[in-house]
Amino acid sequence: MNQSVIQVEHISKLYGSFQAVRDLAFEVYKGEIFAMLGPNGAGKSTTIRMILDILKPDTGTIRVLGGKLDEAIKNRIGYLPEERGLYRGVPVIEVMTYLGQLKGLSTADARKRSMTYLEQLDLAAFARKKVSDLSKGMQQKVQFAVTMLHDPELIIIDEPFSGLDPVNTLVIEDLIKQFRAKGGAVVMSTHQMYQVEYLADRLLMINRGQQALYGKVDEVRSRYALPAVIVEGQGDWASLPGVERVEAENDGRGTLLFLAAHTQPDHVLEQIARREDIHVRRFELAVPRLNDIFIQVVEQGRMGA
Amino acid sequence: MNKALMIARREFVHNLTRGGFLFAAFGVPLIVVILLFVVFAVISDTQDNTERIGAVGFVDQSGVLMDAVSVPQDFAAYQTVEAARAALDSDAIGAYFVVPADYLEAGEVQIVSDGSVPQALRDQFDAFLIANLGRDLQPAQIDRLIEPINNTILTLDNGRRLESEAVVGLFFAPFIFVFVFLIGSQTTSSYLMSSIVEEKSSRIMEILVTTVTPIQLLFGKILGLGALGLVQLAVWVAGGLIALNLGQGIPALRGVTIPPDLIGVGLVYFMLGYFLLSSIFAGVGAVTNTEQESRQIAGIFSLLFSIPFFFIVQLITDPDGPLMTFLTLFPFTAPITVMMRLGFGSVPTEQLILSIVILLLTTLVVVWASARVFRWALLLYGKRPNLMQILSAIRRAPTMATTASAPVENAPTKG
Repeated sequence: MNQSVIQVEHISKLYGSFQAVRDLAFEVYKGEIFAMLGPNGAGKSTTIRMILDILKPDTGTIRVLGGKLDEAIKNRIGYLPEERGLYRGVPVIEVMTYLGQLKGLSTADARKRSMTYLEQLDLAAFARKKVSDLSKGMQQKVQFAVTMLHDPELIIIDEPFSGLDPVNTLVIEDLIKQFRAKGGAVVMSTHQMYQVEYLADRLLMINRGQQALYGKVDEVRSRYALPAVIVEGQGDWASLPGVERVEAENDGRGTLLFLAAHTQPDHVLEQIARREDIHVRRFELAVPRLNDIFIQVVEQGRMGA
Repeated sequence: MNKALMIARREFVHNLTRGGFLFAAFGVPLIVVILLFVVFAVISDTQDNTERIGAVGFVDQSGVLMDAVSVPQDFAAYQTVEAARAALDSDAIGAYFVVPADYLEAGEVQIVSDGSVPQALRDQFDAFLIANLGRDLQPAQIDRLIEPINNTILTLDNGRRLESEAVVGLFFAPFIFVFVFLIGSQTTSSYLMSSIVEEKSSRIMEILVTTVTPIQLLFGKILGLGALGLVQLAVWVAGGLIALNLGQGIPALRGVTIPPDLIGVGLVYFMLGYFLLSSIFAGVGAVTNTEQESRQIAGIFSLLFSIPFFFIVQLITDPDGPLMTFLTLFPFTAPITVMMRLGFGSVPTEQLILSIVILLLTTLVVVWASARVFRWALLLYGKRPNLMQILSAIRRAPTMATTASAPVENAPTKG
């Protein structure tokens, strides 16, 4: 059974007359990466701030790591805010040690762990440098290390990859995956849909403060699957039984075969295998990318408003 | 360790090593002491050194110095002004005095020299004249004629005893306090405000508020920087004591001491004044976004503390009048007014107690209000709330506002 680390039960938040969050409910489990998606102003940051007890919900309850957020529980959480920064005029190691101490580590332990992370992130040579001497990407990595320094059980990371080059993005992705593998729970707010597709286990899409999509990433994508398959190869695709219409795929590499009602994709694949005049290199279900689903949901929300 | 204490330690250590603090704490008093001694040394050399003049002549046209007694060494009589002038021109003497025929009526004596004449030489000639004018009197009678009253000022509040020549130094200890209070409390409160503005502008505040409570953050900063202010106070007081000890040869400082009870009263006002000012500065830091903006607003409150300086004339002429009583009781002006009044005499005990009680209560109210504003405004970026919103935050004690939530009337800017 999944062990819940965050339980959000029907929370709402009103700013004056603006409903920032409306009746939102979800759970985050141990050992998963949980993605929070939504357009700007959807209520993601407000929700994260309510989870972290920076803001109080007007209604509803939130339980984090089994209880209400007190000092002991705060020490078991790592937070990488979207609005982030470090003490600019202070050496990197000093900033990391101080923030580690505030999370309950001893000075020696905080310093030791900081050095381990800096070595892992290829920043050991910059330990004594002032934060202001580091590039934006380096500062980002230091900030991520600070989030993980005290070995939390839950990390909440808001746009963790913004400002990172592809190489450093991979480094941070690896750290996130390692953290999940050890049983840690990750709440990740991002606009990078492709990262959600291959990193996240489950997602919550918020639009206009309300839940728009919620569930396993694959299940959500399947929900939006077209009655079609994508193929790459040579042959007369339209001649296959059960294929109603043929269209070129958007990226121009494959071909979309729209299937007749009640036609199963595996049946089409069997037909292809039997035909000597058709050669196939790629065959897959036409599951839309999260990005397309995201745009579709947001557009529907806009029209429905 | 308690998180507030961790924050206090960090603020203390971080700011202790700042060049600005080291200069204010150690450099400024050192410079003041050095300047003081250089100035006194130069003045003293100019006024006391009679050796550079060499031999001195005098021409007595009045007859007061006929058959003169107690003639100082190096003093030589000349019969005529011309003879004395010739001796001056030939560098046989460095200066000469002319006692004119109508000296007894007019009391005027001319001094002729190529350059300035040290005060010590004039004093020497004064004594020479007095000795001859009163040659029939006992030496003790002459002393009483010269100085019929030998002043010793005894202030009733703390029993400081000051010799009459140390009247200038009467204000020394309280003014040191005023100076240290202004520089110390302003410096450390400014550090506090700057650190809050920096933590807001660098966005590290987002991490801090999910790690510690705003109250832990506020008190950690106030405690850490308060300790820093005490270090500065201790350095200055120690410097003052050393300067006084070394400067006992200087007439203005002779007999001046810093009594422990004055240090005690100073410490109480320093602590309360610092807590009051730093709490205000913390609130200002929380509602502003740049150092420039925060300094402008904080300057208004700094001015409030400095108001007693505008009434220095009233302080001297009427230290116990209604204006000074008001400034003693008004919490923002109390620290400086009380210490300045103590410099001029005493402050009635009941006024002192009332002043401390009012200051303490005001400080508690301001710390409480500031904590509310601080907690409310920590995550407000880019927009300064207006006075009504601040007052509303103090009254209603809302939870932390964010850039999205603060301008209650406006829609949020981000998710």
